[in-house]
Amino acid sequence: MNDDAALSALREEQATLKSRLQELRRQRELRALPYDQVPFQAPAVPLVFQGNTQQGQEAPKWLVSKVRIYYPLSGGSALVTFDDPKVAERVLQQKEHEIHIEECRLRVQVRAVELPVVTTVQVSTQVSRHSVLVSGFPAGLGLSEEELLDKLEIFFGKTRNGGGDVKTRELLRGGVVLGFTKDAVAQYLCRVGQFTVPLGRRKCPLRVSPYLSGEIQKAEIAFWPVPQSVLVLNIPDVLDGPELQDILEIHFQKPSRGGGEVEALRVVPPGQRGLAVFTATSG
Amino acid sequence: MAADEDNKKQVLKEPWSDEGFMKDEQRERLIDEIAKENTQLKEEIQRLETELQEATINSQIKEDIPETKVKFTSLENPENDSQFLNISCSFQVSSQVPYELQKGQALITFEKEEVAQNIIRMGKHYVKIKDVDVEVLAKPVPLNSGVRFQVHEEYSTVKINVTDIPDGLPEDQMRDKLELSFSKSINGGGEVQCVQYDKQSRSAMITFVETGVADKILKKKDYPLYINQNCYRVTVSPYTETHLKNFQVFSGISERTVLLTGMEDLQMMDEELLQDLVNIHFQRKTNGGGEVEVVKCSLGQPYITYFEEERNGMV
Repeated sequence: MNDDAALSALREEQATLKSRLQELRRQRELRALPYDQVPFQAPAVPLVFQGNTQQGQEAPKWLVSKVRIYYPLSGGSALVTFDDPKVAERVLQQKEHEIHIEECRLRVQVRAVELPVVTTVQVSTQVSRHSVLVSGFPAGLGLSEEELLDKLEIFFGKTRNGGGDVKTRELLRGGVVLGFTKDAVAQYLCRVGQFTVPLGRRKCPLRVSPYLSGEIQKAEIAFWPVPQSVLVLNIPDVLDGPELQDILEIHFQKPSRGGGEVEALRVVPPGQRGLAVFTATSG
Repeated sequence: MAADEDNKKQVLKEPWSDEGFMKDEQRERLIDEIAKENTQLKEEIQRLETELQEATINSQIKEDIPETKVKFTSLENPENDSQFLNISCSFQVSSQVPYELQKGQALITFEKEEVAQNIIRMGKHYVKIKDVDVEVLAKPVPLNSGVRFQVHEEYSTVKINVTDIPDGLPEDQMRDKLELSFSKSINGGGEVQCVQYDKQSRSAMITFVETGVADKILKKKDYPLYINQNCYRVTVSPYTETHLKNFQVFSGISERTVLLTGMEDLQMMDEELLQDLVNIHFQRKTNGGGEVEVVKCSLGQPYITYFEEERNGMV
């Protein structure tokens, strides 16, 4: 009887082990992959040499471009941008500024602009279970992004084409990523690999391949200064927008008040709000 | 169910039940066998687990974003409320695609793709250099693959994260204590809109009614939390959301740039002079060429050259 118990315990263990092994084997098929070791061909993106060379030292591995930051401004504030960052620094030495207008004084606070920006990002890559990459679009289709995505969704949404319900769609440089509600649909389409899809007046042979997706594992944030700009806060509600603009500009241009040449001054009058846009000075 | 299994065992026992001796021996052998199989299975599981773990680590892209000089460009009207409740930041990251230009090689970029492809089709070219016709071979540039993606980040102006919350109070009560403490203006707090408290992770997310409160609180790393007579310091940090868009692996192809090889014997020459001669040769229609944008030769030592994305690409 004891031996019987031992035997069935071992058999039970074996069943658990086998199913775990099966799960791991499945995971290995979809395992995380370094982006440069993709087992299928990634869509081609045309590149060109424009004279950019480096000798000796190593250039950065990554290029960062299209930096864009939106910074909300509440009512009763202004953003002053000086020609010279030194002026901004001088203005900031006093936390509070008194602005004289005829008989009264406007008391405002000034503050440096600091933008929270992701400075380190860690991304893991993995073959997506539910998404596929459609590529091989001929040039000159004459379709807008929306039109192209609609046509693809119509085709790959049909069960008779082997498709299914499309959950997400995204246009990339070298193709389109379609996400399906059912993993099996994505897997089936990748196995078939080739489809002839009507796009406008043409029928195009398109390729469907697995999509290597990225996910943020970790992101660190640091504050970037905007050395030329100063934030003006808590402006009392006594003047109209245009008038306030002039008064502030006059004040911050006065060298006697620590000011200097103003490049741009934008006011958000009390009761309103605005979104200041910052972009990289180069690139 | 249990009765069922008993029945099965009964059935299994059947063939051996006549000879008790055989039964024991066979069973022992069977146990041995299964135990051995299980050990093998365990080993294989472990191997796979390690492999998968390593793959995950290797596949990570770690990128430090260099500090970029930013400047105010315009003032816009927020389209919706959520835009007003976040400082949002976006940028694109793409891997540099380098090609190591070896001694005796050159890269030439034509204005038109057709010209470049024609030069490659022709293959051999004879370029006149100091009265000698040098045989130069034109090939496509073999480029590596790269990856590009957009990072979108939102930094809340009304929410903060709170961690290291002490244990010991029921959930509802702790939520109230958090709301009370973070409402105290004397400590820099303000009216609280909602508290999301997770007892298990000892953390919470506080949303304030007014913008500016979160900012003030985050000037310090911690904040006093009052529970009955005691004051605890809880850690405060910004509430941010980061996500990726347009993640894409691509293989670089060079449509307008051509690799030229076969100039190893010209090492004594001036690179610039050679570049001019190559340029002149390949811009002539009679040589199958056309308008040239850039020529770069390497004679003395190899260069790392970088390829950029074509401005008007496909789709």
